[in-house]
Amino acid sequence: MAERVYGFDGVSPSKGKPGRKRYAMVVDLRRCTGCNACTSSCKTAFDVPLGDWRIWVAEAEFGEFPNTRRSVLPRLCNQCDEPSCVRSCPTQATFKHPDGFVLQRYNRCIGCRTCMVACPYNARHLLPEYRRNRNNPRNVADKCDFCVVRVTRGLAPICVASCTGGAMVFGDINDPQSEVARLLRESKTFNLRVELGTAPQVYYIGLTESIGDPEFAFHNRSAQLHERYNSFKRNSELGGEMAGDIIDTDMGFWGLMRHIVRNFSSFFAQVPHKFFRGLY
Amino acid sequence: MEGQMIANAFHHSYWGFPIALYFWLVGVSAGSFVVSSLGWVFGIKKYKPTAFFASNTAIVMLMIVPVLLIIDLGKPYRFFHLLLLGSFSHWSAPMVWGSCFILTYPVAMLFYSYFVYQKNERWARILGILAVVLALCTHWYTGVVMQLNPSRVPNHTSVAPILFLTGAYVSGIGFLICCLWLRNKFLAAEKQVPIELIADMARLMLYGIVFDLFLLGNEFLQMTYGVAEEHTMLYDVLLGVFRWPYLYLEIIWGLLLPLGILAIPKINRRMGWVLAAAFMCATGVYGMRIWWVMGTFYYQGHY
Repeated sequence: MAERVYGFDGVSPSKGKPGRKRYAMVVDLRRCTGCNACTSSCKTAFDVPLGDWRIWVAEAEFGEFPNTRRSVLPRLCNQCDEPSCVRSCPTQATFKHPDGFVLQRYNRCIGCRTCMVACPYNARHLLPEYRRNRNNPRNVADKCDFCVVRVTRGLAPICVASCTGGAMVFGDINDPQSEVARLLRESKTFNLRVELGTAPQVYYIGLTESIGDPEFAFHNRSAQLHERYNSFKRNSELGGEMAGDIIDTDMGFWGLMRHIVRNFSSFFAQVPHKFFRGLY
Repeated sequence: MEGQMIANAFHHSYWGFPIALYFWLVGVSAGSFVVSSLGWVFGIKKYKPTAFFASNTAIVMLMIVPVLLIIDLGKPYRFFHLLLLGSFSHWSAPMVWGSCFILTYPVAMLFYSYFVYQKNERWARILGILAVVLALCTHWYTGVVMQLNPSRVPNHTSVAPILFLTGAYVSGIGFLICCLWLRNKFLAAEKQVPIELIADMARLMLYGIVFDLFLLGNEFLQMTYGVAEEHTMLYDVLLGVFRWPYLYLEIIWGLLLPLGILAIPKINRRMGWVLAAAFMCATGVYGMRIWWVMGTFYYQGHY
């Protein structure tokens, strides 16, 4: 079996329990074409709002012409065995299911966003006030749940089902006959940010440090990245005016003042919507 | 190999300026209360005249906190989920500890204020000890809630609560000096807090400033020798988006200038200069709250 790294005590909830499922995913990056079929099918299936993702594909380009290369990395909640979001949630709204899912209970969540602060994978988001379907949950934290509703009905998660290259493999690794167990046994697999001890359950084959390393983003902060990010912020109503709006073009004193004023004004503008929803 | 990220997700709406303001308010409250307790708890008699006013200032500042926090929740009506201690609450979450502190701290302060008003030495001392411990805990928690996230590498340091407490001490005394100066404007001469006492409080603030600079120096040193995200933080607090809150607002405006004022013997007992230093300290610490709270959220989006 390929060597894997676990958290501090390294015990998975269903590890070694006969008859229990232990779901995990293997993403074979050699097969991933970066087509974003997983992203779009997930967005469609769960009505994931604009600006938020349950799964997304990080892309990076390297080198100078003619020696260029592009790396892709489908990113989703890692369904950690030692989830730091569960540890930080003050109301037990998020919890680790014994079968491996990290799930979110919308009716308990108070929207304090501590789980988003705790998550090292940036995998959580806050559902906005305005949803296309008004029956959908609002103003609570949300995340990828490994499509628990599909999996418990015998279907693969929708990203796996829609993967055009067959790069994503999902299954029960307690079952040695499953394809995911075979891949873990026979291939060298990697996790994201294993040093944090979260014991992630999404495994990658062919992960290179250039796309998997967070330091990469710093050394390669480009004008293009900031331009895209800024334009997203400018054009998105859902982007909000929270912490992330500090951008490189606003480094001066008046930039700081502008952000403080904008942040507080949007903060107070949300108050009537939060307290008197449905009345107008 | 040179490269650039061309697509990634930015889940950015975490905690913003209101939460930084909450940290600042709790700090000011705790710092004011420490001054209030000097006379009745620690037996430094010359601070007794300020105790009642300082304690009430602390209470007023803390009253704003629950409003900010509850409004900031996505589901404000569900704030009581934090208080269902037997069922919903998750004791490994620092936020639950903080909820307990924020609930009990103002109550202890109210009783303390009452006994100070009644000049009941014994009970003022008992409640004062309790409230000082709760004041320290309440602000300790604001550091801890950031510290206990290993994923936020620059915040994940045990210096964090001490840095927060020192900032609270400095900003609380600074804010209290400003309030006392304002109060003196409306009082008859015999009821005013003497300038000597305010200058002594500024001297206490000076010790806090020196200790704060020492801690920040340590933190800075760790950033220069740090791992990936700490390097990112270093870049952004010196050259990038957090240069204003960190370098100008906190270090220069909030610490170095007051240090310069309060270290010069000829001017450190004059009301105008002391007041300027106090105002700089009180406002400058908000810069620390900004870069400490929001700094790491910014990089996390890149990952």
